[in-house]
Amino acid sequence: MATVRAASRLLSKRVLSNTKAVPAAAVQGSRNFHFSIYGKKKSAKVADDISTQYPVVDHEFDAVVVGAGGAGLRAAFGLSEAGFNTACVTKLFPTRSHTVAAQGGINAALGNMEQDDWRWHFYDTVKGSDWLGDQDAIHYMTEQAPAAVVELENFGMPFSRTEDGKIYQRAFGGQSLKYGKGGQAHRCCCVADRTGHSLLHTLYGRSLRYDTSYFVEYFALDLLMENGECKGVIALCMEDGSIHRFRAQNTVIATGGYGRTYFSCTSAHTSTGDGNAMVTRAGLPCQDLEFVQFHPTGIYGAGCLITEGCRGEGGILINSEGERFMERYAPNAKDLASRDVVSRSMTIEIREGRGVGPDKDHVHLQLHHLPPQQLATRLPGISETAMIFAGVDVTKEPIPVLPTVHYNMGGIPTNYKGQAIDHTNGEDKVVPGLYACGEAACASVHGANRLGANSLLDLVVFGRACALTIAEEHKPGEKLSPLKPSAGEESVANLDKLRFANGSLRTSEIRLNMQKTMQNHAAVFRTGSVLKEGCDKMADVYQSMEKIKTFDRGIVWNTDLVESLELQNLMLNGVQTINAAEQRKESRGAHAREDFKDRIDEYDYSKPLQGQQKKPFEQHWRKHTMSYVDPKTGKVTLRYRPVIDSSLNEQDCAHVPPAIRSY
Amino acid sequence: MSFLRLCVSASRRVESRTQAVGSVFSGSARSASGAPKDQEPLKKAKTPQGRFDAPEKSGDVLEKFPDDVNPVTKEKGGPRGPEPTRYGDWERKGRCVDF
Repeated sequence: MATVRAASRLLSKRVLSNTKAVPAAAVQGSRNFHFSIYGKKKSAKVADDISTQYPVVDHEFDAVVVGAGGAGLRAAFGLSEAGFNTACVTKLFPTRSHTVAAQGGINAALGNMEQDDWRWHFYDTVKGSDWLGDQDAIHYMTEQAPAAVVELENFGMPFSRTEDGKIYQRAFGGQSLKYGKGGQAHRCCCVADRTGHSLLHTLYGRSLRYDTSYFVEYFALDLLMENGECKGVIALCMEDGSIHRFRAQNTVIATGGYGRTYFSCTSAHTSTGDGNAMVTRAGLPCQDLEFVQFHPTGIYGAGCLITEGCRGEGGILINSEGERFMERYAPNAKDLASRDVVSRSMTIEIREGRGVGPDKDHVHLQLHHLPPQQLATRLPGISETAMIFAGVDVTKEPIPVLPTVHYNMGGIPTNYKGQAIDHTNGEDKVVPGLYACGEAACASVHGANRLGANSLLDLVVFGRACALTIAEEHKPGEKLSPLKPSAGEESVANLDKLRFANGSLRTSEIRLNMQKTMQNHAAVFRTGSVLKEGCDKMADVYQSMEKIKTFDRGIVWNTDLVESLELQNLMLNGVQTINAAEQRKESRGAHAREDFKDRIDEYDYSKPLQGQQKKPFEQHWRKHTMSYVDPKTGKVTLRYRPVIDSSLNEQDCAHVPPAIRSY
Repeated sequence: MSFLRLCVSASRRVESRTQAVGSVFSGSARSASGAPKDQEPLKKAKTPQGRFDAPEKSGDVLEKFPDDVNPVTKEKGGPRGPEPTRYGDWERKGRCVDF
C-alpha cells in the first residue's frame, strides 16, 4: 500500500509542485488521495453500531460543510485549498441552491465611481441594522469587502464594467458617503441582472479545481455532538436510503434561511432552516430569529415580489370593498408610504375582514387604471410577470398581493470568525468544532434589518472566514477525537418513526396549518394579543406533529419522508420565531410592534445623554435573543446576550455609538 | 424513332451514374422529344433550421443594448432595459428581487 501510494504520489502533479523529501511516516499524516487504485474510497466503512435495519456508512474527513449555496461552496473550496480533506453534504445540487435567485448586486467600497471608504460602508451597515449588529463582525465584513469582490472577479465572475474597465458600481441599498453626510454612495457591483446565479456558478466552477468530495442529494439529519463538541454530521442519502455518518474535526453549517415557515415567501421550497433545527436539537441556541424581513407586495400563491415602482407609477392597493385603503393609513404619502407602513396597513385590512379572495387573505394591486402604453414603457415586462405568476392580465385585472417574507436575519450565533457560540454565565463560549456562515448564521452583520446587496457579500466573506479560521486552528490530517459508536441513533430512530408514521394528519396539512398561523400571527402586524394567540396555536400545531401520517414506506427517494423531516425543522424554527417576537417588547428594524412602537435602548438616544440613567440589561432591548427549544415538548426558553459594540480595531475604525435611525 | 426512345431510356439509366455522359444524352433527348416533366421532383431541403435562419422574434421585452454598452451610463455588460434601481429596489420585468 505504501509503495502504491508513493508511486501515485510521484505521478500526482500537485505533490510535484511542493516536493521535498517526505518520509513515509509523514505521508500517513497527510490526507488520503481522492482516487485509489481499486476505485473505492478506502475510508468509508459500513457500520453496524446504530442500526441493523438501515445500512450505515461511516466516513472520515477533516472538515464537513453542510449546504452548497454561496457560503457553503466558498467555505468548501477554501478548506480544500488549505489542504483539508473536505466533504460537502448538500440536499440539492450546488447550482440549484437558492443563492441562484439572488439577482441583486454585491456592495463593496471599491471606490470606482467616486472616492469611497469602507468605513462609510461600515457606518451604513451599522445604522441599517438598527444598532443590533455586532460591530466587530460588520467591521470585518466591510473591510474585507473590496478584497472579496476582487477575488470573485479573479475567479471569473463577469461583473459589469465602466468605460475604463473597472467594475461598475451603482447606487443601491441605503449607502451613503462620509458617514451619512456626503450624499448617495455608489457601491453595488452586479453582473447584468443575475449576480447570484453568476456567483454560484463561478464558485461551483472554481470549487471543481480542488478535490472536495461532494455528497449531492444527501439530507443532513443531525449533528453528532459529544460533551458539547461537534464531531460531525449524520445524513440520509436520498438516492438509496442509506445513512451516512460523516466524522470530522470541523463542521460548517451553511444551509440557508427558513422562509417556508410562512405562507407567503420568496424562498424556494427547499428553504427549510435545516441547519438552525440541527443546532437546536443539539441543545444550542439560535439568535435573533424574530427578525424576518418582509416586502409588502408579493404575489399571492407564487411568492414573487412586485416592485414598488408599480405604486410609484400610480398603482393602488384595493381591499374587498374596492376602497383605496392607504388613504386612511397614510393620508399624505398614500400608496407611496414606506414599506413597513404599507405592509402593516395591508395586514390590518386583512385582519379586519376586508381581504379579497375565497379565504379573504390578501389584497389587490390595481394597475389597469393606468394607460397600457405607460405601463409598457415605464415597467417593461410586468404584463409577462403578472401573467406567468398570477395568471392575470395586468391591463384588465388587479394582481393579488400580500406581505411576503424575503430574508431571515437571524440564525446560528457566531463570532466574527465564523465559530458558533453559546452564551453561558454572561460570556460567549465557542462551541468546539462547529462553524456557520451565510443566511443560516447570525454573525449579526444584518442585525435587525438587512440592507440590500449586503447578503451576497455576507456569504463570500464569512464563507472564507470559516475556512481561514479552521486553517488557522487546525491542521489537515489531524487525528479525529473518538466518538461513541452509537452516535446518531436518535436520528435514525426519528427517521424510522416518520417513515412508518400512521396518524391522522398529512404532512401537507400540518405544514399549511403552521404556515397560515405564522402568516396570520407572526407576520408584519405584531401586537401582544395577536402574538400570544399565535404562540398558543403554534404550540398546538407542534403537538399535532405527533399525529403525522406518511404514505410512502419505501426508502429509495422517499420525498414524503424528506418533506416530513423538513417540516420538523420548519416547526422548530417557527416556534422560536413567534415566541421570540412575543417576548421582545419594542420595535426595532424589521420587528415592528403596534403596542410598543419605540426602540428601547439603554439610554434614550433621542435626547442628549447628559444626566440619563443607564438602564440595566434586563430592562432594555438592545440585546440579542438566544432561543432554545426542547424538541419533545416544543417549549421555548429565551435568554439574552449583549450586542458587541466595539469594532476589531478602534484606531483603524471607530465604533458607531447608537443613535436614532432616520433616513 | 424507337431507336431514339431506346436511347432516351438508356440515357436515363446512365444519367443517374454519370452526370457528364448523361447530360449529353439528356440534352439530345430533351431537344428531340420536347420537354418531358422531371420524373423525380426536387425534395425539400432536409437540413435543420439553424438558430439564426429564422428572423429573431422580437418577443423579448428587454432589448440588448448595442455592443452591450448602456448608452446613458456607459456601463458594459450591465442589466438590460431601464435602470433596475430606479425605484429604490432592484426591479426586473416588474419583479422586485432585492430591496
